[in-house]
Amino acid sequence: MKRLLAPGCVLLLAASLAAQTATHRSYDTAFLGPPMADPVLQHAKETFVLFGCAYCHGLNLVSRGEATDLMHSALVGRDENGNRIGPLLRAGIPQTAKLSPMPQFSDLSDQQIAAIVTWIHYARRQGRYQELTAATVTPGDAAAGKTYFDRACSSCHAIDRDLSGIGRKYDAAALRAAVLDPKGLKVERSFSVDRLKDTKLTAAEQRHHALLENYSADDVANLVAYLASSP
Amino acid sequence: MLTRRQFTKTGLALPLVLPAFALRSAITAAQAVRPNRSFISGVQFGLQPFCYHDLAMTRENRGELIRRLIRNGMGMVELHSTWVEPRFTASGVTPAAARDKLREWRLTPPPAYYQSVRKELDNAGISVFTYYVNFDDSYTDAEFDAAFEGAKILGARGCVGSFGLALSRRLVPFPSRHGMFIGLHNHDNLSDPDAYASEASMVKGLSMSPDFKMMLDVRHFTAADGDCVGFLERHHERVAGMHVGDRRKHNGRSAPFGEGDAPIIELLRMVRDNRWPIVALLEFEHGTLRPEVEEVDLMFDYCKRAVA
Repeated sequence: MKRLLAPGCVLLLAASLAAQTATHRSYDTAFLGPPMADPVLQHAKETFVLFGCAYCHGLNLVSRGEATDLMHSALVGRDENGNRIGPLLRAGIPQTAKLSPMPQFSDLSDQQIAAIVTWIHYARRQGRYQELTAATVTPGDAAAGKTYFDRACSSCHAIDRDLSGIGRKYDAAALRAAVLDPKGLKVERSFSVDRLKDTKLTAAEQRHHALLENYSADDVANLVAYLASSP
Repeated sequence: MLTRRQFTKTGLALPLVLPAFALRSAITAAQAVRPNRSFISGVQFGLQPFCYHDLAMTRENRGELIRRLIRNGMGMVELHSTWVEPRFTASGVTPAAARDKLREWRLTPPPAYYQSVRKELDNAGISVFTYYVNFDDSYTDAEFDAAFEGAKILGARGCVGSFGLALSRRLVPFPSRHGMFIGLHNHDNLSDPDAYASEASMVKGLSMSPDFKMMLDVRHFTAADGDCVGFLERHHERVAGMHVGDRRKHNGRSAPFGEGDAPIIELLRMVRDNRWPIVALLEFEHGTLRPEVEEVDLMFDYCKRAVA
């Protein structure tokens, strides 16, 4: 009899544990989407949700109610590694004309703040990219594009050096795609010491991310017109 | 050092105590609530379904709302008007035109419309405790009356909204016409002199009419550094319900139940032990990785343990 009961008990125990695990690991994929391939971004997304940011500002920065639109906020656009968002998160915005002030998050660790900032910038880039690629393509102004290039791009690129002949090699559509999503920056994130030393690539990635977060449709059209007109 | 009870007894709290006439004539509408499946250990629980964050608050989603309420074991709800009314916002329709159409609909709803919604809820064993309406300056007097009429047919005891002191003055004559109350819903904006955020502002609002009652938002009051337990001690006769949730003090963030500074257990036990007819409407704005229905289950379990 004992021999018969033992496997049954084991099965019951296993079923019970499985049920507990299922409850414990319950994850709202309908809202959060499937887990992301990049664990850093996955952690950032979960932190953004867990501390309630998504409740008002929206998981993908489509804000609800009276919350600030982070997708188009100038402050977010000027933020570099949390230098503006971080202090604001810690202090909140108690003085406001809105129904509810933005809460302060002074109890969060620096890592948690950094994760929230990471998600805000990532989601903003995704959203801005979608907006810019969905926008009607209009002919740009090459002169205005040159002015933009000189201000925002010339510290790393030059039309007669690394971008020499780019106007002949690519058509406007390809140039537009390269401006919005530079292929050279598509590298897998790594924490090996060698990769951590690659500060140049990291800086370039950050710079292009910042540009993407702030491009207007006109900026992109003008830039493409300038690059296309280059000899 | 005086305890809160001593403080109240000595009369030092008098400036915060409401005029006697208001207390005498306060409508005990909540007492008329019939206990249902979420009446637990002497406390009537319900839900503010705003916390099903993934579910757009439209009348098209009302069926799903009812299914979720049943799944969560809720027999009472604070129903936002958008679960009942049609939406007129659409591409090509200006906000002003949509607002006019909504007003027109409210003034002349389809025959027996509210009765049919009431039937849906009755069939599911769900009572509407309060009807949440975004009253604002754009409402005409006739529209205020229409909102109360609709709410009454739905079975609501009162209408609740997030308006301030100025609009409250305009609302004074309306609830008595319909035998209902107005629920003042506090937020936490202490910098706005018109807002219900401090105890003094709420007392000021309540003193305008005996038909005004508090829908005390525990989360917001905690964030505004209010004394929830003291408020209930002093003004429980004028509190119809509470939005029960957790948050940290000093304009802090929302938190899962038990992780913030809101004295949820104390408040629920006060309601239980004093047999106050105050409805506890669960609501959350904290983040969670779980589906909302599961999160509501956890919150409800926390409250059930508190009053067990």
